[in-house]
Amino acid sequence: MKNLLSKEIRLAASPLAWLFLVFGLMALIPRYPILVCAFFICFGVFQSFQSGRENNDILYTVLLPVRKTDAVKAKYAFTVLIQMLGFGIAAVATGVRMVLLGEATPYVTNPMMNANQAFLAYMLLIFALFNVVFLGGFFKTAYKFGKPFVLFLIVSFLGVGVGEVLHHIPGLTFLNASAPLTDPVMWGILVAAAAVYVVATMVSCKVAMKRFALVDM
Amino acid sequence: MSTVLSVKHLTKEYPKFTLEDISFSMEEGRIMGLIGRNGAGKTTTIKSILNLIHTTSGEITYFGMDLASQEQTIKQQIGYAGGAVDYYKKKKIGQIVQVTKTFYTQWDDEAYRKYMELFELDEDKTPSELSEGMKVKLNLVMSLSHGAKLLILDEPTSGLDPVSRDELLDVFKALAERGVAILFSTHITSDLDKCADDITYIRKGKLQFSGSMQEYIEHSRAEGAGENLEEIMLHYEKENFHEKLAQ
Repeated sequence: MKNLLSKEIRLAASPLAWLFLVFGLMALIPRYPILVCAFFICFGVFQSFQSGRENNDILYTVLLPVRKTDAVKAKYAFTVLIQMLGFGIAAVATGVRMVLLGEATPYVTNPMMNANQAFLAYMLLIFALFNVVFLGGFFKTAYKFGKPFVLFLIVSFLGVGVGEVLHHIPGLTFLNASAPLTDPVMWGILVAAAAVYVVATMVSCKVAMKRFALVDM
Repeated sequence: MSTVLSVKHLTKEYPKFTLEDISFSMEEGRIMGLIGRNGAGKTTTIKSILNLIHTTSGEITYFGMDLASQEQTIKQQIGYAGGAVDYYKKKKIGQIVQVTKTFYTQWDDEAYRKYMELFELDEDKTPSELSEGMKVKLNLVMSLSHGAKLLILDEPTSGLDPVSRDELLDVFKALAERGVAILFSTHITSDLDKCADDITYIRKGKLQFSGSMQEYIEHSRAEGAGENLEEIMLHYEKENFHEKLAQ
């Protein structure tokens, strides 16, 4: 698996997958739907799949002395790596925003989503959607990625919309606090989203492995 | 001589095409041509023996090992090159090799350098900068550097100019003399006249013949089917065409 992940990074990855990690810094932008950063980070991974298809990456991989299903695991491992790096950058930016700039007027009066634990939780849920909808859909054929990506695009932007609406609902305004550093509910939301991300990714990977095992190259 | 590849009763059913009951075997140091017209089932056969597609039935063994259960061990000892397929077109060959070698326990850097020099390949070039013939040679280098005892090549000579084709066939002969078995599909029968020991001829998804090429030509000549492989293929394939035309 280590060799396959190295192959993903050194041969299959698009430079955009790394470049788009910078979108994690969108967490610092006030009055902006910052959750789209999760979409852009996933878009970088999508570019790697596109470049992989152009370069016969899947065929190259299955011809190596590896299990066919390991090719799937490697793609998931690469995706999770990029997502966690993007999440890490966004988490640092969110930390800076909450700890050092929590009282700054643009954030306190922000009508759009604030960067806090709920925002990071939503990011993980968007990532989980990508892993289930796009990755899971791609491995039905290991070739066609248009339909799963369009589907992901729709559900991810719906997710961004829901995230932006929730904190306007009476009783849920706490979701948009600018510095809820000690709010146990907010931490709970982040932990719950992390659990959903882990479970969804693992289940999706298992399903994708089964699907790919049935694919004729 | 030991058997490197054995295919028994291989069948693959598609909705509109069936590869039916294909059986053949290959010995070390032999060159086998897999022939048939376009759409006869050559690529389906190659994909089946590489486990790239699911076969309907049949048994495939390499070096006495079952493909289904020992695929990883087998793939350490075989090499594949498709004529038109290239990988990571814009990456430097050296970079592709550095990654590829990590998967093979028997990778030999000395052999790699020797074959790169022999085939005049430059590590700093990318596959997109190579001619079709050089791409095939690159795949051969990769296979030979991990000690492949069997090379499976899907139409390696198609798209090559006559000189490159001739050079490649000389390479095949030299490798066979060193004990490497080579299975290559082609519809250019003159390639086989120059280097093949055996042929497996597939016609409309069915096995027409598998065995010594010399014996096949002699047998067909006696039946009046032709004097060489090209004439024999034309005889059988056009026979069917004329029947259809008359209907």
